[in-house]
Amino acid sequence: MAGTLTQAPPRGLPWSRRLARPAKGAAGILLFLAAWQISVPLVGLEPYFYPGPADVWTAFVDLMRKGILPVYTVDSLSRYSAGVGIGIVAGVFFGVLIGLNAFASRLLSPTINFLFAIVEVAWIPIFVIWWGYGYKTILIALTYVVFFPVLYNTLIGVRTVPQPLINAVRALGGTRAQVLTHVILPAALPGIITGLRVGAGFAFRGLIFAEIVAAKTGLGYLIFEGAQSHQTARTIVGMISVGVIWLLIDQFYLKPIERATIERWGLVTDAEQRA
Amino acid sequence: MKPSNAIGLLPFAAALAAWAIVPIYVDYPSYMLPPLPDVWTHLLETLADGTLAGHVLNSLGRLALGFAVGTGIAIPLGIAIALNRHVADTLKPLLTFLQSIAGIAWVPLAIIWFGIGIGSVVFVIANTIFFATLYNTVIGVQAIPQALHRAVRSLGGKGLSLASVLILPGALVQLIVGFRTAMAYGWRALVAAEMIAGTNGLGYMTIEAVQWYRTETVLLGMIAIGLIWLVMDRLIFEPIERVTVRRWGIVQR
Repeated sequence: MAGTLTQAPPRGLPWSRRLARPAKGAAGILLFLAAWQISVPLVGLEPYFYPGPADVWTAFVDLMRKGILPVYTVDSLSRYSAGVGIGIVAGVFFGVLIGLNAFASRLLSPTINFLFAIVEVAWIPIFVIWWGYGYKTILIALTYVVFFPVLYNTLIGVRTVPQPLINAVRALGGTRAQVLTHVILPAALPGIITGLRVGAGFAFRGLIFAEIVAAKTGLGYLIFEGAQSHQTARTIVGMISVGVIWLLIDQFYLKPIERATIERWGLVTDAEQRA
Repeated sequence: MKPSNAIGLLPFAAALAAWAIVPIYVDYPSYMLPPLPDVWTHLLETLADGTLAGHVLNSLGRLALGFAVGTGIAIPLGIAIALNRHVADTLKPLLTFLQSIAGIAWVPLAIIWFGIGIGSVVFVIANTIFFATLYNTVIGVQAIPQALHRAVRSLGGKGLSLASVLILPGALVQLIVGFRTAMAYGWRALVAAEMIAGTNGLGYMTIEAVQWYRTETVLLGMIAIGLIWLVMDRLIFEPIERVTVRRWGIVQR
């Protein structure tokens, strides 16, 4: 979802126009910050209720100097990458299994549809009962969130592999394993990547929620604990960190992967449909 | 159901059977997974005394309120962004950044501003629904062919008449597609926000039960959360989407 409102400036515009756009965007952000700072004395509320940008900056410097923010960020990111990693592997495995095997499809599809309907936030309470507050609960919740979109999109990818391609490889003497690695997985890759993008977005939200409910470190915990202890500036530092990290993940990790796979293996019509 | 599909019920049957049999032979604390009959009796109890219905109605009311606030702000702003380049250039980076702060990260701040309860929950739902609707409004308005703009303008349409004759009907299909997505995000946000900042509602009911190890309530809450969303999505939003897209949509088949 994130990043969808931005667009690269169109080529062929004069330089003044191409520069005008980022300048206006920066002006929008600066205006927002200025209005926020000016409104603080005007509103005259307690800083815990309505901290200004200056308070947030002080809290940021403090959290960096004490090393809290870097440690929490690393904690959040390691949970996130572990959960997303396991979710992808499991999702691709079951997606290929169900896509290729009619019996597995009939056996498992209703169960998977049912489980998919129960949104991940609803699972967290029962996970807490089973595994307590902490790492295991968060990891399982993230895996769960990523698993379903990856599975669905892998399934679509596997089922749209043209049969002649499979027949061709078989006729040339390819084994079933070679069909899997040389035909089916590459063909399903754009689907897998789409699933990864959807799942990664939901998982990031899920991570923050799980850390608020069930963790003692991490950015979600920072946001929650800051508000609990009336250090609201810390909460806002946490929120801004969450936003920046998501933009970075999207911009430098998900989008390049998507571009590379679609350019290399994607069917063009498929890419157009999703664009 | 075709007999070949009945095999899909096997995992459900196996799970239910295991749930019924395992507690007899394996000794484990009953709060981990209460026996099946207990959950059933608990369901009947909460249905009879109206507590479940109360929580459901509270949740749905909040969702409706958050939806009204979120779309009420998002649609006019989305139209402004789509029609005016200056507004778009100035606001897009700020909005993109605010959008990337997931709705749920606002809950603790919302608690400080609005206290525990309905204010915080509605704020978070409205926030989530706002961004989903905004994006689809912009896309929908931008997709209206330029020729139609010129036609309506040359016939003297501007301001409110332009909006009611061209822009709202033109963007309607995309808006309705957007509503469905917004509800999916909004429902997640609702449940999550109620768990952290609620005083009643399905999310609150579920997380509150964890404190007291009343696992049968937790299970009921989960199933209700899943079922209600499924019913809303499949029985309300999907048919509306189908009908609108078929009637007014520019769908190439």
